[in-house]
Amino acid sequence: MSIAETTLALSREDEQRLYREEMTIARKYIGPFPVVMALWCFTNLACWLSLWPLVIFNVIPLWAGFIIATVNVTLCYLPSHEAQHSNYAAPGKPLRWLNELIGYVSTIPLVLPFKLARYTHMLHHKHTNDPKLDPDYEVIAPTWFQAAQKTVRRMQPGFPNSYGLVLSENADDPAAQRAGLEGALQSLAYWTILCTLAWSGFALEAAFLWWVPRLLGTVYISLFLSWWPHHPMNEMGRYRNTRSFTYKFGNILAFGMEHHIVHHLHPGMPLNRNAPAFREMRPILEARGCRLEDH
Amino acid sequence: MALLKALFPWGPVFFGIGFLAPLIAAIMVALNIPTPFGLDEIHIGLAIGAMWGLLAKFGGRWI
Repeated sequence: MSIAETTLALSREDEQRLYREEMTIARKYIGPFPVVMALWCFTNLACWLSLWPLVIFNVIPLWAGFIIATVNVTLCYLPSHEAQHSNYAAPGKPLRWLNELIGYVSTIPLVLPFKLARYTHMLHHKHTNDPKLDPDYEVIAPTWFQAAQKTVRRMQPGFPNSYGLVLSENADDPAAQRAGLEGALQSLAYWTILCTLAWSGFALEAAFLWWVPRLLGTVYISLFLSWWPHHPMNEMGRYRNTRSFTYKFGNILAFGMEHHIVHHLHPGMPLNRNAPAFREMRPILEARGCRLEDH
Repeated sequence: MALLKALFPWGPVFFGIGFLAPLIAAIMVALNIPTPFGLDEIHIGLAIGAMWGLLAKFGGRWI
């Protein structure tokens, strides 16, 4: 089914009016510095870092550290996601350094290189649900459980790395070269630290504060940021390539992705303002024929 | 970068020896699992880790 068939036919006047109304609402929520997301980054990172001495010196047991670390790793992506969109400070602004700092440090527990994440995420926004050009398309699956299984398969050494393929296809682009270099160095540093810890007598701590939480966090993030908001990934176009949905365990456990459609329409809007913006935009989105499911 | 590219395909083997081996040994110690033939836990860890890494490299899967 084509995009033209699935969106509502609008007159030129209606189209312009809806766009103006949508932008008026969006501007209200885009402006202020996303304090919540910045605090989220540094609090989460500090918590995860503090687990190491707390567990090593037996202040808290390893099983408790493991649970907290898994939560930390799972939570660490979203502040970096704001930085990928330059939502803390655009290039040339005084706080640009903070934007880039958050981008780099927030995902240390996840070992997701910032420049690689930004490069591929911008392609995802540009080509959402395009089987050939969307780097996140590989997560496509009929059910959430199959999507989780697929994410595990994608971690296996014999499975082609979709982000690596994107970098190879854009090998002449200096931004891709930089992303590839930083990604390689960060991965090398991660494996070196893990092995060093393991051979220094901290193998269990390395495994249960970083390695296993990272595996679990990767599956969770892939499910809720890639699969759930875009499923079934069969449409493209500004108003149809993603959706709103209701997660039965709540929007917090869904990482705020219930209103992902607002993020795709206005990536400059911080995550914690998507829900109120969605409620205000809802009549416009309905008039546009957007995929507002289960609400 | 060239060196990294050359070593990257052997990553599972390095991981098996570099991380899984001491991890397996630590788990055996933590769970009081006895070792056969008077071997140390790290010897068992190295054998399993290296073998598992080779299987992952040539089979393309850890699990």
